[in-house]
Amino acid sequence: MSGEKPLDFTKEITSKLGGETIARCYQCGTCASTCPVTRTTERYNPRQIIRLALLGQRDEVLKGDSIWLCASCYNCQERCPQKVEIADVIYALRNIAIREGNIPAIYTEFANGLMSEGRLAPISKFLEKKRADYGLPPLKPTGVEAIKKILAATGFDKIMFKKEGTPQ
Amino acid sequence: MTSYALFLGCTIPARQPHYELAARKALTRLGIQLVDMEGATCCAPPPLQSIDLETSLAIAAYNICLAEEADLNIVTLCTGCFESLTIANRLLKEKPELREKVNKILANAGKEFRGTKEVRHYLQVLMDDIGIDRLKQSIVKPLNNLKVAAFSGCHLLRPSELLRFDDPERPRIFDTLIEALGAKSIPYKNKLRCCGGLLRGYADDVALAIARDKIVNAYNAGADCISTLCPFCFLTLDLGQMLIKATYKEEYNMPIIHYAELLSLSLGVEPKELALDFHKVKIDRVLEKIG
Amino acid sequence: MTARKGSSKKSKGKGKGRKRRGAKVKAMEEAKVGVFLSDCGGQIAKILDFEALTNFVKTVQGVTFVARANEFWRGEGLKIIVDAVKTKKVNRVVVAEAVPKISEVAIAKAVEEAGLNPHLVEVLDLKDHCALPHRDTPKEATEKAKAMLLAAIEKARLLEPIEKTEFPAVKSVLVIGGGIAGMQAAEDLADMGFQVHLIEKEPFLGGLAAKAVRFFPTDDCAICIQSPATDLKTVTQTSRKCVYRSGFSEIPNLNILTNAKVVKVEGGPGNFKVTVERKPRYVDEKKCVACDLCTSVCPVEVPDEYNAKLTKRKAIYINKPLVYPPAYAIDAKVCKFHECAKCVEVCPTKAVNLDQKTEHVTLNVGGIIVATGFREYDPSVIKEYHYGEYPDVITHLELARMLDAFGPTNGVPVRPSDRKPAKRIVFVQCVGSRDRRWNPYCSSICCMISLKHATLIKEAYPDTDVTICYIDIRTTGREHEYYYERAREMGVKFVKGRPSEIIHDPATNTLIVEVEDELLRRLMELEADLVVLAAAMVPSEDTKELAQILGVELDQDGFFKEYNAKLRPTETKRRGIFICGGAVFPKDAPTTSLHAHSAAVKAAKFLMNGKITKDLKVAVVNEDYCGNCQFCPVTCPYGAITLEPKGDGHFVAKVSELICEGCGVCVGTCPVGAIELRHLKPSQISAQMKALLSVNGTSKPLVLAFSCSECGHAAVDSSGMAMMSYPANVRVLRVPCTGVIQVQHILEAFKAGAQGVMVVGCKPDGCHYEVGSQKAQKKVEMAKMLLQAYGIEPERLEMFNLVFIEGDKFAEAAKAMTERVERLGLLQLA
Repeated sequence: MSGEKPLDFTKEITSKLGGETIARCYQCGTCASTCPVTRTTERYNPRQIIRLALLGQRDEVLKGDSIWLCASCYNCQERCPQKVEIADVIYALRNIAIREGNIPAIYTEFANGLMSEGRLAPISKFLEKKRADYGLPPLKPTGVEAIKKILAATGFDKIMFKKEGTPQ
Repeated sequence: MTSYALFLGCTIPARQPHYELAARKALTRLGIQLVDMEGATCCAPPPLQSIDLETSLAIAAYNICLAEEADLNIVTLCTGCFESLTIANRLLKEKPELREKVNKILANAGKEFRGTKEVRHYLQVLMDDIGIDRLKQSIVKPLNNLKVAAFSGCHLLRPSELLRFDDPERPRIFDTLIEALGAKSIPYKNKLRCCGGLLRGYADDVALAIARDKIVNAYNAGADCISTLCPFCFLTLDLGQMLIKATYKEEYNMPIIHYAELLSLSLGVEPKELALDFHKVKIDRVLEKIG
Repeated sequence: MTARKGSSKKSKGKGKGRKRRGAKVKAMEEAKVGVFLSDCGGQIAKILDFEALTNFVKTVQGVTFVARANEFWRGEGLKIIVDAVKTKKVNRVVVAEAVPKISEVAIAKAVEEAGLNPHLVEVLDLKDHCALPHRDTPKEATEKAKAMLLAAIEKARLLEPIEKTEFPAVKSVLVIGGGIAGMQAAEDLADMGFQVHLIEKEPFLGGLAAKAVRFFPTDDCAICIQSPATDLKTVTQTSRKCVYRSGFSEIPNLNILTNAKVVKVEGGPGNFKVTVERKPRYVDEKKCVACDLCTSVCPVEVPDEYNAKLTKRKAIYINKPLVYPPAYAIDAKVCKFHECAKCVEVCPTKAVNLDQKTEHVTLNVGGIIVATGFREYDPSVIKEYHYGEYPDVITHLELARMLDAFGPTNGVPVRPSDRKPAKRIVFVQCVGSRDRRWNPYCSSICCMISLKHATLIKEAYPDTDVTICYIDIRTTGREHEYYYERAREMGVKFVKGRPSEIIHDPATNTLIVEVEDELLRRLMELEADLVVLAAAMVPSEDTKELAQILGVELDQDGFFKEYNAKLRPTETKRRGIFICGGAVFPKDAPTTSLHAHSAAVKAAKFLMNGKITKDLKVAVVNEDYCGNCQFCPVTCPYGAITLEPKGDGHFVAKVSELICEGCGVCVGTCPVGAIELRHLKPSQISAQMKALLSVNGTSKPLVLAFSCSECGHAAVDSSGMAMMSYPANVRVLRVPCTGVIQVQHILEAFKAGAQGVMVVGCKPDGCHYEVGSQKAQKKVEMAKMLLQAYGIEPERLEMFNLVFIEGDKFAEAAKAMTERVERLGLLQLA
């Protein structure tokens, strides 16, 4: 325990988009039982993440790798008898973790793609040619400028690139 | 003629032109006009939602705004796009405070979400605009009782409270549409369970183990192929079999075929008109069976 | 006999059959006020100047007698009052006395015996409302006491006698529902001599309990009930009996109607006219000898609902083996009637009558007890458990039938798919309960049901593997924990975790229960032959419909709502209608029994005198002003007000004097002032207000606090009792409920000289009259807007919601309000 006040972390989560329902959890384990990831690896258990969070174990939740192992399949959320929006709670926890600098490399890549091209997967020259061969229409340009404005408005750019600066 | 704004997303045009090609051919044959969207971007799927939910909502809303301006409903091919856009559309339509918040962000990009349009998956277009009867009448080459393991992917069904696509525990729509083509939708273990695709890039070993389960279950049930709707599921299961071979030394040769491809074939599109070389696991066996 | 009397003409017209008694209302005579000042044994005389008070009172118009004593509500003091009434022609009594609630009752009673109407008494509390809280400023306290006395005297001068009325009460009760709750309540009342009609919608009594084999924690048979105490000499400790041996049906005054349901209720408390629809049984109960010949010839076979559809029964059937009435019934949904009629031919006593018709019976009863119970939830909506799809996934009620030695499997738990004995059984708790998607509440008895069934199975078949998957095990009742202990000792396994899915493996015909054992943090796949779902317990079918017919409320979960969980657990808001057992919430047998006894006692208490006597402290309507609007009928928390046609196309409000509780919420709601309380007239409020604000005697601005007679007044009491202090410029005006307050009253207070106004009522959700406090809050908000429009600071008005123990909060509020008003400066009214 690192002297955190449990109530504060719960409040922090419930005040975040996606995290509103976490305190309803009564630890029945339906989420863990239905989770395809929990079945596969001991590294992830949604019930345990929620328990740690509600007990105020902020560091353990945010700095560990567990929260990044949710596959966002929403099975748990669908079956939760307390209607805890578990997958969304995990997003909220990830959002907090990212703001604190715990950013897995793959997410930086996604953010880069979004900021530079407005899409997550870049189109190769090879594919452009292939598309033409198949008779597919050329791709319309993305609204990357608009996206940049949105990212600036929400502070997304700063969250992701506070150290290196924007990637352009 | 029904027109839709076609929301392609990122992965389909960049990685899976065979999906796009099949979908365009099939839907056009069935009388659906697809209008390409000017300025569309990424839909803001789970990886971006993980970074910031609010930003993701705004990006999704931005794309819906484009459709609102064009006065068209959106049709998506990718279930991931369907999920991101539908959730944003529903939340912003139903929660005024959230809408106000997002519109403040969108104002910076000169947009305003009005909530006047619908987001549909192309299966809904088949079910609702074309209808099962007309679809059946359009089939020129029935799929000859091909045993299909239907795999809709998670984000077509869940979270059901917002997506409202089908019964999340007993979905019927996808199976009905498969059977409309003259194929059989076969039951298999853990049919509704995830493919693990979203863990690729972060925990490849876990993702692969989950994907393997899916392949094994379909294989054990005697499926001729797995039919997908989502480019991530396709990638995870198709390319995944190469990785399974390398990692587990197991070979299943389970063809993964997008439903749009099956649909195109049954509507009489010749295999050579489709970009079938994009399949890692060859589908010749399936083509043979359907003749 | 009472039933017959009740249906006589006398009681038909509303109010016609009742008698008025008590002091005859004389023409308004001149008010001669006697003022009785208690100094509480000299205690408060150290603070208040009683001589000054006495002298002041003597100068007030109308006061003809003044006395001072240690106390006035008993002993010598009370004699002084009685004497003043009897010999000094005092006809209005003002008493300054502590413990006002007790003293009010004692003094009213004495005065009534002395020949004065008991409502001509006004009691005020100079101790807790004045002397104690203002003990630091005795001069100011004395001045305030003068204002309080003046207000009481002014009010007393305007008091009018209030009569007592008697309403007829038929000594007969209808009990709806023939399960254990209904049977128990019916038996109690019949034993006490009431005429009881017990109706049951099914052809047989017993309800849910009849299917349940055994009860916890006594482990006795479910069909065992207490046998009646009709002859008190025969009652012994062994009066427990099987329902078929109990003699239940032979209780005098008990009329049992099966296949029956309520379709209409008219009349009111003490005198209901209930229409009961009785579906045909097609078998004469009095002739049937239950010989079974009819079933042997009946060609129609259907799955037996009573036995969880595990066996079949004929169209003519009886729920075996031990039921009441011991007569066959025909299932009209499947019988071929005259096309077949084989049962008619074979019946040796000619009991079968295929031409019976639905009949309507009208019952005249004084009270109604609802005992309609609960039912097991259909868990097929929880699709991940595949109930209704996998035959070997069953519910507890279905298992109970299997465990019944007379049941479909003769006591052996089997898997229905192949009828083989189940060797591995998994119980799943909280199925559809504690689940926000279906029923958010805990059904409260399922843990014990699972423990009971698990131990019954282990006892009979020790090699059976029994596992209970649970979220929390709740064994809160007496002896319940021992049950849990015994189950563990017998080898029942417990897995803490709620299963996410039940899967069927067709190859082995085995069920797989997927669950996380949370304590091991391990995912388990429990193999089972039989999975038993502890499904939620929900209100019986037709509960909504019945509630509508009866005009009573349901709670958020759809059960019948009690008036007050602590104080009136078996009463509804509608007088004369009582509720008990599982109709109120799922209950085990012992609690159901208790609840049924309670409802019976409440009904008996209500009707025992054959009449209901009531002081007419009720609302009265001025028909000349009242017109057509719906405000008061909709607002009245008791449904005491109806709109009645006046004949000229207009409607006027009509108050049921029997139902009205006298709270005055209607008064506060009426937009035209057409309704008022007999016991607190507008003139009395004005007179008190003026008097309270006529004397200040402090350097602070006057603040008037309207307080309700319940929590609000209690908070004022307790601030004094607890020796809190607040300034003497705060004056309290008591009303029955803050709901009575109109915007007009608040404006009038400012006009009369108040610089600030407080409204002190119960908590919004704890109002003694349900909605009064909330209504008052609305009035306060409205008045604030008006004040603003008049250029008066809206902060001069505030509502406070307090309870008895918040005397400190009242003192704080009074201080804060005073300071606030001081800050705002003197209010200048144009």
